[in-house]
Amino acid sequence: MTPSRRTGGLSRRHFALALPSALLASGCAAPHQGTGRPGDPIVLTLLSHYASGELKEALQGPVDEWNATHDRVKVRTKAVEFTDLLTTFMVRQAAGQGADIIQPYCLWNGQLVQAGVLRPAPSEHTAEITRGYGKAAVGAASVGGKVYGYPTEVQTYALYYNKRLLREAGIVGPPRTWRELEETAYRTAKRDRYGNTLVQGFGLSTYDDSTTVGQTLALLNAAGGTFVSADGRGTAIDSTAGRAVFDLEHRLVVKGASAPGINVYKAFQSGQVAMVVSAGWWTGSLKAQMGKDYRDVGVAPVPVPKADDAPATLSTGFMLGVNTASEHPREAWEFLRWLNTEKVDVKSARKGATATRMSSLQVSVGSLTGRADDMRTLLGQGSDPNLRPFLDALAYAVPEPNVPGAQQAKSLLRKNIEALWTGQQSVDEALRTTRRQVDQEVSRSW
Amino acid sequence: MNRRRFPWLSYLLVATGAVLTVVPFLDMVMTSFKGPGESGTLPYRFLPKAFDLSNYRAAIHQLDLPVLFRNSVIATAVITGSVLLTSSLAGYSLAKLRFPGRDFIFRLVLSTMMFPPFLFFIPHFLILVHWPLAGGNDLFGRGGAGLTVSIVALTMPFLVNGFGIFLMRQFMVSIPDEVLEAARIDGAGEFAVWWRIVVPQTKPVLVTLGLLTFVDAWNEYIWALLVSTANPDVMTLPVGIQLLQDYVDPTRTMPIVMAGLVLSILPVLILFLLLQKYYIRGVMLSGLK
Amino acid sequence: MVNTLAPETTERAAHSPRSAGPAVDGRRRARRHQAVVAYLFLAPTLLFFAVFLILPLGFALLLSMSRWAGFDLDDIDPVGLDNFTGLFADGSTFLTPILTNTLLFALGTVALALAGSVVVATCINNLRFQGLWRTLYFLPIVTTVVAVGNVWKYMYEPGGLVNGVLNALGLGSVAFLQDPDTALPSVVVVQAWASVGSAILILTAGLKSIPESYYEAAALDGAGPVTVFWKITLPLLRPSLLFVCITQFLTGLQSFALIIVMTKGGPGDATNVAALEMYRQAFSYGDWGTASAAAFMLFVVVLLVTLVQLWIFRRKGEDA
Repeated sequence: MTPSRRTGGLSRRHFALALPSALLASGCAAPHQGTGRPGDPIVLTLLSHYASGELKEALQGPVDEWNATHDRVKVRTKAVEFTDLLTTFMVRQAAGQGADIIQPYCLWNGQLVQAGVLRPAPSEHTAEITRGYGKAAVGAASVGGKVYGYPTEVQTYALYYNKRLLREAGIVGPPRTWRELEETAYRTAKRDRYGNTLVQGFGLSTYDDSTTVGQTLALLNAAGGTFVSADGRGTAIDSTAGRAVFDLEHRLVVKGASAPGINVYKAFQSGQVAMVVSAGWWTGSLKAQMGKDYRDVGVAPVPVPKADDAPATLSTGFMLGVNTASEHPREAWEFLRWLNTEKVDVKSARKGATATRMSSLQVSVGSLTGRADDMRTLLGQGSDPNLRPFLDALAYAVPEPNVPGAQQAKSLLRKNIEALWTGQQSVDEALRTTRRQVDQEVSRSW
Repeated sequence: MNRRRFPWLSYLLVATGAVLTVVPFLDMVMTSFKGPGESGTLPYRFLPKAFDLSNYRAAIHQLDLPVLFRNSVIATAVITGSVLLTSSLAGYSLAKLRFPGRDFIFRLVLSTMMFPPFLFFIPHFLILVHWPLAGGNDLFGRGGAGLTVSIVALTMPFLVNGFGIFLMRQFMVSIPDEVLEAARIDGAGEFAVWWRIVVPQTKPVLVTLGLLTFVDAWNEYIWALLVSTANPDVMTLPVGIQLLQDYVDPTRTMPIVMAGLVLSILPVLILFLLLQKYYIRGVMLSGLK
Repeated sequence: MVNTLAPETTERAAHSPRSAGPAVDGRRRARRHQAVVAYLFLAPTLLFFAVFLILPLGFALLLSMSRWAGFDLDDIDPVGLDNFTGLFADGSTFLTPILTNTLLFALGTVALALAGSVVVATCINNLRFQGLWRTLYFLPIVTTVVAVGNVWKYMYEPGGLVNGVLNALGLGSVAFLQDPDTALPSVVVVQAWASVGSAILILTAGLKSIPESYYEAAALDGAGPVTVFWKITLPLLRPSLLFVCITQFLTGLQSFALIIVMTKGGPGDATNVAALEMYRQAFSYGDWGTASAAAFMLFVVVLLVTLVQLWIFRRKGEDA
């Protein structure tokens, strides 16, 4: 019951000190990356959103090849889902654990450059990039006239439609003008007696950025408008073209041809959506998930307001850049050059045909790069005809603006579009609030 | 006895509430057995067509479940242990020891409960990243990853709990001084007094505090999300399961998420059911008001 | 911690002329010993509060008046009150809808949870198998917010349980989380559902502490159960109610885990709340200054709401 004072004293001290010192000790472990011993290979980390399924495997192929053929520099891939990608860049950078090579969505380039995450490309790489890629791709990978990385995946937007649903509604081909688009949407839409939507004529979905902002911007570009003003410090949404797009979407929702609450990424596959504007990558997923029903899927260019309008659409993309915090920038750029511009034989195509590893990788997952020559080689014959409209669009697509604050601007646009679709805002209000909010946010970001 | 004149109304209200409380859990379990295309389709069906375990296999396959479990267990154990120890020691000091500055410290402890956690969210992360001499940092906390490389990052902001100290102190005040004094006269040191007399007397409230802390720590999501974003090696169960949302096949996502959830809440549920007697009695005794 | 011996020394100096016998000396030594022990016992706590309370407060204040992307400590750029004025500038979404949502979310949660828990706690008190009932009501408390959020998100879907029930009753489907008019209330219901259990716990403790003699006296006076509830139970439960109110309000004002899981703040800004905005500004957009400023503004709101509650309850107490 009564231990000696001495024991008590010892235990006291022990207890009082054990906790903090144990924590300190465990925290002092050295960081993990690289042993730093001479002779050991340099390990470059690569963070992308190629986190699962075929994307992950597609990237792992060339990386394994590099690791098998290079002794001094090894590459290790890390991945998170796209929705977590920006936050992961920012948090890992803040935590001093940024990857050597990162693959940002080009929209973020302004923010990442301004925050000092991205390192400008050395001049020889800049030359190689401007030479090898289309203008939209280079533009998306540049900030303030400086190139920051190798453009990888390029997405253009086009109109997906369900041939069966159009046929059942007595419509022959996909719409070319906005008038045809509306008509097709109204004729294909179906509801049950509880008001549950069975078929959406035109899939407007609040599911994610690409189903809200992507669609809207594609239509905006098709109408000859732009989202960000020429000087990059404000928005140009409050224009005739902007109003026309908002009006169109508003009518589609009000007349019941669109049900923004439904996730089109699930509904389209099961034949519950007649038309939707989406990016080229989706063909791959649709093919995998729809099985033989995929033959019902058609793709056409984004309809334009009037029949004689020039075609236009949105292009978005990713690039591979090097972290300013990387200790091995030279090796990182060298790997990127090897991956993105070195031409190798294409197994599937005719003899002697070559393309970059990145182009082969992207095409294998139903996507495109900004290298038109590669795309012509790889999509020569036997490939999915639904990819054609996306390839054609490379010539006329407008890149998504990447000024500092572009992600916030996009989020604000998305919120206002959603408020418009759900009847919380009129077209006028939506245009006005978007302009006020985006102007405030973007001007603050500079 | 007289108050039980209309128990049927009470029964009705309580039973309705209980059904509302339990049904979501049943729906979770049922959904976890549903096959591809069986969930989220119209019309709604409560029961699965067959009790198929493939979703559980998929959940385990998609996640590194043992690692997630291990991280959750370590973080929860460290937090709970630390909160119990520090609350009891500090509570004893504030309740039963006389020393200058006691009132000030007690007020400080009370005031910590006024500060909402989100205010510290950003600075806590900053402090962990720039912890001197950890994770490759220099003496001034620059150049490395700080404590974010270690699993202690999950626990650091929760190691001491102002409420816990307050609870223990309130409870210890009622221990008669004579008992402690008698022990001291017998030659017991303060540590012995605390360990031999105070701790046993406060066992119910310790169990309560322990369970409350355990549940909070096990279920903590936001901080764990941030720390796991910086360092996926320390990902906990809730964070990992939320990641299942991105499971590639959308027709199977929900059943698999539900299967993962069932697996993750089972251990806590079992523990709670075993210890709930102490939980409830402890709270009653502490007379939380 | 070091200067704590100072008062002790002065005390000794003042008392020393009178202290004569060895007994007094021993007591003084014992008291000083006790002070040393107390500070040893408190050392981990005080150290923790220094590093994880005082220091962060300083950082939060510094950051709220700086521009910083969160990377290099040398890049912290002081900008005065710009972050605060930015929050309230024309076109900023902070005041409406974000802060308004935060208040509505907290208010709705408290109202629902309080009403539900008062009813259930008083009813359970009259029943048999109290332990069993309480166990059922505690289930949501011991469940992670990720589980709660996902289950309800799924139940709210067009093909989910709630709409299934509505359809079975012949009612139309509701796009609970997709429609901005219903999204916030839908999330509020879930948050209340998840917090009713702990409220019941606290109220039960309060109920048990009401002396049985009060009820016996009321029964002698022939008071009905409703009268008893309004005249005896509720007034005597006031301390517990205040506690539930304040803690639930605090939780409601700052919780965003459920919202991250269920809606990520959408559709639009319909369920965006201050703490979520703070998280995004810092960790997605690299604007730690604005994030810290937002945190401070939310702190002010929390403080005001708490003070108002204390004031209301105290005034009511004086009326009674």
